[in-house]
Amino acid sequence: MRFLSVRSTPAVAILAAALVVASAGAAPQSKKKGGAETFNGKARIGTSTAVADASFTIQIDQYTPEKDLKAMEQALQTGGSAGFVAALQKAPVAGHFKTGDKTFTIRWARQRETPKGRVISIVTDAPVYFVGAGLPGAQARTGFDVAVAQMNIDTSGIGDGSIALAAKVKPGADGGVEIQDYATEPVKLVSIMRVIS
Amino acid sequence: MSVRALTVSLLLTVSVALAAQAPSGSKSTAPESFRANGQITGVAGGAATEMVFKIDKYTADAEHDALAKTLKDGGNAAFLAALKKAPKVGAITIGQRTIDIRWARTRPEGTDHRRVAFVTDQPVFFAGAGAVDAKPTAGYDLAVVEFTIDSVGLGSGTMAPAAKVKAGGPTGVEVDDYSGKRVTLMTVTRSMAK
Repeated sequence: MRFLSVRSTPAVAILAAALVVASAGAAPQSKKKGGAETFNGKARIGTSTAVADASFTIQIDQYTPEKDLKAMEQALQTGGSAGFVAALQKAPVAGHFKTGDKTFTIRWARQRETPKGRVISIVTDAPVYFVGAGLPGAQARTGFDVAVAQMNIDTSGIGDGSIALAAKVKPGADGGVEIQDYATEPVKLVSIMRVIS
Repeated sequence: MSVRALTVSLLLTVSVALAAQAPSGSKSTAPESFRANGQITGVAGGAATEMVFKIDKYTADAEHDALAKTLKDGGNAAFLAALKKAPKVGAITIGQRTIDIRWARTRPEGTDHRRVAFVTDQPVFFAGAGAVDAKPTAGYDLAVVEFTIDSVGLGSGTMAPAAKVKAGGPTGVEVDDYSGKRVTLMTVTRSMAK
């Protein structure tokens, strides 16, 4: 499992949280919790003068098979962001990200076990929201074609995480993955709870 | 961040009433400043922020009449051009950002209240513009704030953070808000020190 490299650009903040998007050589998917599951939580962003939050539901129908993950990783390394997005959009549906009256398709879903539970990473095939786009003179949206989230879920199904609601996925150093977030402030995922069915 | 589909433009009639505004009270309260907590909610969530409104002076009747006539005769574009040429009368501060106020009026309301209304020369923010299917922001070039405050210095009101105006409606002015939903100024507090 490789971690995202984090860097800054003058115009765009890179998602500071070490979101984990699986790459070649990742640990195998958990066999214990491979079925459909749903998580509810809140996405929250705050600055010294403002705070905003929104409820969300992440429904995972199936975790992405290893061969599809590798195909997307290969596309990223050879075709860059555009190649990755193209491969992502061809991948099977893994679930849905819902907020308000909007639903977004998850085409990358991966989990790995940790000593305290699981880390789940997802990627949607379209951006969810451009945080900061409401400010006059906001940066262009071009190229921020996906959303990337990571959740740390403990063994009881409770957790937290972070999300880049509009992001670029780029090849990173040493074959890693770099996430460039449209937002200038990190968006946290809080009060995540696995729905007991 | 509020993930909402605030993309429907509504013509909201407000009582800012540029054209129908009563003259400012004879006893000037400016310069004065107010702190406000703004909130806006949507289907999925909401956002809140702190703002400071600083009014250096209220727009004089003659300048007000000229702006109102410009709006009536020339519409939003002419009004905006005239507004940008008007002298700065105050500012909104949100975090590190400061936006100039170029029209401000106040008038008594009831026995111990007064209404304060002002317009900025640029939008403060476009609520809901971060949505993937958000409508274009072009043309929403100013912000409109109004609130009522009592003699103690406490009040509440609303803000159209990105808007265009046109003459018409029962009050003489219609405000077309970008998001179709106002920011609620939950608590407005007049600062003690001028």
